[in-house]
Amino acid sequence: MRTYICKRLLIAGVTLLGMSLLLFVLMRLAPGNITDIIFESAGYVDEADRHKLEAELGIDRPLIVQYGRWLGDFVRGELGKSYRYDLPAWQVIKPRLPVTLELAVLAMGFAIALGVPFGVISAVQRGHAIDYALRVVSLAGLSMPSFWLAMIVILLLVRSMGWIPSMTYVSPFDNLWANLAQFLLPALAVGYRSSALIMRITRSTMLEVLREDYIRTAWAKGQRGRTVVWRHALKNASLPVVTLIGIEFAFLIGGLVVTETVFNLPGVARYLVDAIQFRDYPIVQNLAMLIAVVVVFANLTVDLLYTWLDPRIKFGA
Amino acid sequence: MSRPRPLVPVLLLAAVLLVLCVVVRPAVGQAPRYGGVLVTSPLSATPSLSPHEESTIATVQQASPCFNNLVYFDPAKKVESGDTIIPELAEKWSWQDGYRNLVFLLRHDVKWHDGKPFTAQDVKYTFDVVRGAPDAKAKLKVNPRKLWYENVEAIEAPDAYTVVFRLKRPQPSLLLMLASGYSPVYPAHVPLAEFKNRCIGTGPFKLKDNRPGELVEYVKNPDYFIKGRPYLDGIKFVVIRDRSTQIAALQSGQLDVAGSGWNKTNAENARNGAPKLVIGEADSNVNDNVLINFKKAPFTDVRVRRAINLALDRKAYLVGPRQGATTFGGALLPKPAGVWGLPAAEVAKLPGLGDPTKQKAEARKLLAEAGFGPNNPLKFTVSTRALAIYVDTASWMVDQLQLIGIEATLEQIETGVWHPKMTRLEYQVALNLTGVGIDDPDAQLYENYRCGSQRNFSGYCSEEIDKLMIEQSQTLDPKKRLALVQDIDRKLQADGARPILGWAKQFEVRWPHVKGWAVHENSIYNVSRRQDLWMDK
Repeated sequence: MRTYICKRLLIAGVTLLGMSLLLFVLMRLAPGNITDIIFESAGYVDEADRHKLEAELGIDRPLIVQYGRWLGDFVRGELGKSYRYDLPAWQVIKPRLPVTLELAVLAMGFAIALGVPFGVISAVQRGHAIDYALRVVSLAGLSMPSFWLAMIVILLLVRSMGWIPSMTYVSPFDNLWANLAQFLLPALAVGYRSSALIMRITRSTMLEVLREDYIRTAWAKGQRGRTVVWRHALKNASLPVVTLIGIEFAFLIGGLVVTETVFNLPGVARYLVDAIQFRDYPIVQNLAMLIAVVVVFANLTVDLLYTWLDPRIKFGA
Repeated sequence: MSRPRPLVPVLLLAAVLLVLCVVVRPAVGQAPRYGGVLVTSPLSATPSLSPHEESTIATVQQASPCFNNLVYFDPAKKVESGDTIIPELAEKWSWQDGYRNLVFLLRHDVKWHDGKPFTAQDVKYTFDVVRGAPDAKAKLKVNPRKLWYENVEAIEAPDAYTVVFRLKRPQPSLLLMLASGYSPVYPAHVPLAEFKNRCIGTGPFKLKDNRPGELVEYVKNPDYFIKGRPYLDGIKFVVIRDRSTQIAALQSGQLDVAGSGWNKTNAENARNGAPKLVIGEADSNVNDNVLINFKKAPFTDVRVRRAINLALDRKAYLVGPRQGATTFGGALLPKPAGVWGLPAAEVAKLPGLGDPTKQKAEARKLLAEAGFGPNNPLKFTVSTRALAIYVDTASWMVDQLQLIGIEATLEQIETGVWHPKMTRLEYQVALNLTGVGIDDPDAQLYENYRCGSQRNFSGYCSEEIDKLMIEQSQTLDPKKRLALVQDIDRKLQADGARPILGWAKQFEVRWPHVKGWAVHENSIYNVSRRQDLWMDK
């Protein structure tokens, strides 16, 4: 087990290194840099000033030096300075992280809370009206992009109730209820699509498991239906579901841009897009790397969960 | 029968008068009320709170409540001109030596938000920095309006409350430039870099919170030098990127006023959902202009430029991309909203404004003369910024050009590299939007048409025009100056230098409780102090 974890950590490290290289190269391939944008959007370029700023920002150095310096700083936890706002990058990123994290966790919570039970019910009630109804619900979830759903939710709310969630961020530590009122709808809008996926996977794996001999044996032994379905069948059916949840969580973090924009939530996803537009390299690179770290470790956690879910799985030494 | 006692009618009359007073009070009694925090959404996030270093209305909107100028355009007058300038930090001013020296006498009762006194040294410091004087005590990282002050030879502060701007040649327009929202006075004791994220000014509001990209919040400055102002307790600028969300936020009452960057449809959509909303429509001095690269063949040929200009049917532009709201004109915004533009009779004869069938036929003929026709079609790319407000008009342009046989294709350029590409003339034909800071030829013509100006994105250059620009700038007789400016405009139109499709309208949509929301017809940049704004709720 320990060897397995070490191996996975090593692979995670290599993945993150590759990711860092890719990020760095992609940002440099995009035309223009921050000094172009700062000076030329003002319609005034003093070449001496521009070179001075490039030197100040370190973007006049050879690319390999820039890359090495950034990577070293990132590993040491030094995220540099936002070129655009002239503030330490961490100071800009820090208040935005809890926003995206809260939205992602709530959305995932909704997705699991809706997707797993509905998937189980749909499988158990296969061919019945409730199965068809739930399948229609899941199909709708897969068909509707979350940004479209978010816009429709906003429009419906304002038209029917003359109310929409707060446009300025309310911290849960200041006012929990106001915070929940602000986050529940975007979380539902984002979580709905994921719940549909989870429901469909849960349903299909549950159908397979419910046909297994040990389930038939459990029924024959006269065990309660609830125990058979939720304890024996679901646990064994949950392996692909957990895998999917891990992948969905990763996608979700990267896919919150539009939802954060529509609900005006000051999270990292929306901010990342702004930073890309302004070629704010420290922000883009460090934020994307932070997201990559979350994704890699989410996948690692899922892999480790396998042993608990299915003791038959043994990790190779 | 007893006769009514004389006291009864008197009492009745008094009662009626009292009722009338109470009922009519809100209508008659538009006496401003104190209190309330106005919440609004700016065009976009501001990159900093330093107007001298930025070129976006977003910065002016969000930084103006913090600052003051020496002089300012009267918010209550809809059309800005030299006659509508009012004092702010300067109590009085006078021109001396035939418009070569501009003398300001400053107020004695002004304090910076940190409590330090405001003096003439602050004024000298600010404008020495902006004009890039060799002995300036600091240097701006980016200095987009250095050009405005190139005629200033020296700035002197003979005592703590007198400032003298000494000019190389007469230039009446200097006063207008000093009245712009882009010309606030900075404190000499605060490092320039601090204005990236905080603001120490003398203005009616003090910065309370600045969350970059999210919100800028102000509270009332209790020590403001104009007694009784501001009326509001505060202003909150909430950055909402999505237009639909902006509309929903306004309809739900989370915003008191919105509309920056909106078109007519946005404004009407907002009111359809909340009929009590009030829409204000006005000219703006922001224009859609066609950049034709003067440095690249075949656009060096005046016939090709004229053909392109003729092909763009302005009436179709009015009903299409501008949705029925635009003003036509030449290089400067025409009357009544503008001061310097061509007369209406001449505007009606500009290319693109005539009979579309005849104009398109003339355009085809010109192209044929230049060597282009069905067998050898003119092919080029129409570049534009990848923002809806640009792309809509550029798509329409491509369609219009195809009607005369030009094989035009649309290229959307990411917003971050749009200006760099334009500055380097890396395009063939482009659709651009330009906001005019002040309605004055010295600003508009010098920036956009002068040889070598970095905002002259078309590369147009004419020595004759440059000479005329200088001549008009130092002409003191307003009538003679207007004639000169209109002469320049005619020549620019004949050369096809940066054809203007139209001047956009601005829309402000607000709840009826917002009172005193000032709008200027000939600039969006010089009206954001908001000290006279109040809320009736």
